[in-house]
Amino acid sequence: MKDIARQRMSIKISTMDLLNNQIKMEAHASASYLAMASWCEQNAFPSSADFFYHQASEEREHMMKIFKFVADCGGNPISPSVENLNHDFSTLEEVFETALDQEITVTKSIYNIQSAARKEQDFLVENFLQWFITEQLEEEKTFRDILDLFEVMGREGIALKFIDERIKPE
Amino acid sequence: MTTVYSSKFYTFYQSDADRCYFIDFGQKLVKLSFCQLLALRQRIQTISIEDHFDSDLNKHGFEILMLCNKEHLFLLNTFEILDLMELLGNALGVLGIANQIGLTSS
Repeated sequence: MKDIARQRMSIKISTMDLLNNQIKMEAHASASYLAMASWCEQNAFPSSADFFYHQASEEREHMMKIFKFVADCGGNPISPSVENLNHDFSTLEEVFETALDQEITVTKSIYNIQSAARKEQDFLVENFLQWFITEQLEEEKTFRDILDLFEVMGREGIALKFIDERIKPE
Repeated sequence: MTTVYSSKFYTFYQSDADRCYFIDFGQKLVKLSFCQLLALRQRIQTISIEDHFDSDLNKHGFEILMLCNKEHLFLLNTFEILDLMELLGNALGVLGIANQIGLTSS
């Protein structure tokens, strides 16, 4: 029998499923950053709000990159639905800590796909994900640096205003 | 056409000449391209079989399946859906292009 699947698609179906999960995760991250931007707007942190608007659009770009890759490989990219978004935060620091945790979850997920792709000898996917691995390092570093500001400048009063002013979209 | 897998109600074939697949639904033979097969797999994976046993979530225990860009419409009961899941999971497994799909939604 001919291998019709291989003729039609350049990646494995199991890897395609993982990439579709990643599309969903990036969409969730994008929407989650919008929720954080909303909180920052409502609590008078305009620079942080701008930062999160920018992050939201960056995560959407990541999602689109994976979406296009799956389509270009002949796969079936699934437009994701986004549910269970958290809009409630207690402090600005909590917002950034949640954002860092979210980035760590995304990094772990990308490592998981990379590991599966390597196991399946899906070298195309492995090569494609290299860009995301470097990108995730930058994302995590950005949030770690911002969280360091709270250690240095404090967590109350005017310190929060100064921290907000230092936060700029990358 | 080569028979890939037969379940209780359905049979899955591959046609090397047409570079496509066929599913014999009993009353109808449906031709599927690879993309249409992926779409059917996706649709089947989103079905919640648990809902069939909850009269509030799926009152009559039926699923409407539209295949191949809405060219075909099927109304399948719980047994037929379970059988179709088995068919697809095993056929894709035999073809070596995917592991068996789960019976519950992902």
